[in-house]
Amino acid sequence: MRLACRGEKEQFAELVRRHQRIVFRIVQGILANLADTEEVLQESFLKAYTHLGEFRGQSQFRTWLIRIAINEAKMRLRKYRPGQHDSINETDREGEEIAPRDLRDWDPNPEERLRETELASLLERAIRALPRGYREVFLLRDVEQMSTEEAAETLEISVSAAKTRLRRARLMMREYLTPHFQKRWHQKLLDRVAGRRRTS
Amino acid sequence: MIRCEDVLREISNYLDQDVPAELRQQIEEHLRACDNCTVLVSTTRKTLSLVAGSKVFEISPAISERLLERLAGQWG
Repeated sequence: MRLACRGEKEQFAELVRRHQRIVFRIVQGILANLADTEEVLQESFLKAYTHLGEFRGQSQFRTWLIRIAINEAKMRLRKYRPGQHDSINETDREGEEIAPRDLRDWDPNPEERLRETELASLLERAIRALPRGYREVFLLRDVEQMSTEEAAETLEISVSAAKTRLRRARLMMREYLTPHFQKRWHQKLLDRVAGRRRTS
Repeated sequence: MIRCEDVLREISNYLDQDVPAELRQQIEEHLRACDNCTVLVSTTRKTLSLVAGSKVFEISPAISERLLERLAGQWG
């Protein structure tokens, strides 16, 4: 992707409009603070504009841009919030197997249990509770719906490492959400009646 | 015959439809007989569906506007 000199700013503004949502979501998923996120968002686009000449088109513009934003967010954590950076550092449970503990079944339609904003807020808390290395791949793959290959390329990790982190992130998310969506007593009763009908 | 540990190891690939046909068949056979794995797979699938359809970490119009203003200010 190359921008012609004439109208370059207008073309870049169009790229900003197209990609600002994804960059914001990724950065906000990494940083807990909204003011930090806004600053990193602005710095990332400014940096992308300044270094546009270095973009060779070997990867997608989106991949390149998100990589810049993730690096900016990590730098900010290291610089201004070292405690936070250490406590959620990377994937410290890499070698440990995730064992599902809560195997209660969910309501058939969990999205009906909460209002849209409540659901978004619950999911945001669950995503923030993931170790950072898992959170990054989960945000790219399952929130942004990138392919696993693009997520791995963006994070500069192997596809196999991306799959391992993704599996753990998904299992941890499920575990976090289960108490909120477990079947209520009347649903269990309905299931029991339906089961009896099937066997009689 | 595959075990619960095998389902746990392959759950993510299974949900992404990224397992060979033979393994998929073996997993499905196991699921028909194992309540715990059935719950594990169905609740993980619901987790992904909730996340995909949600509006997490949405950018506000004010932040979007300030971003374009800052860039315009930089360009002069």
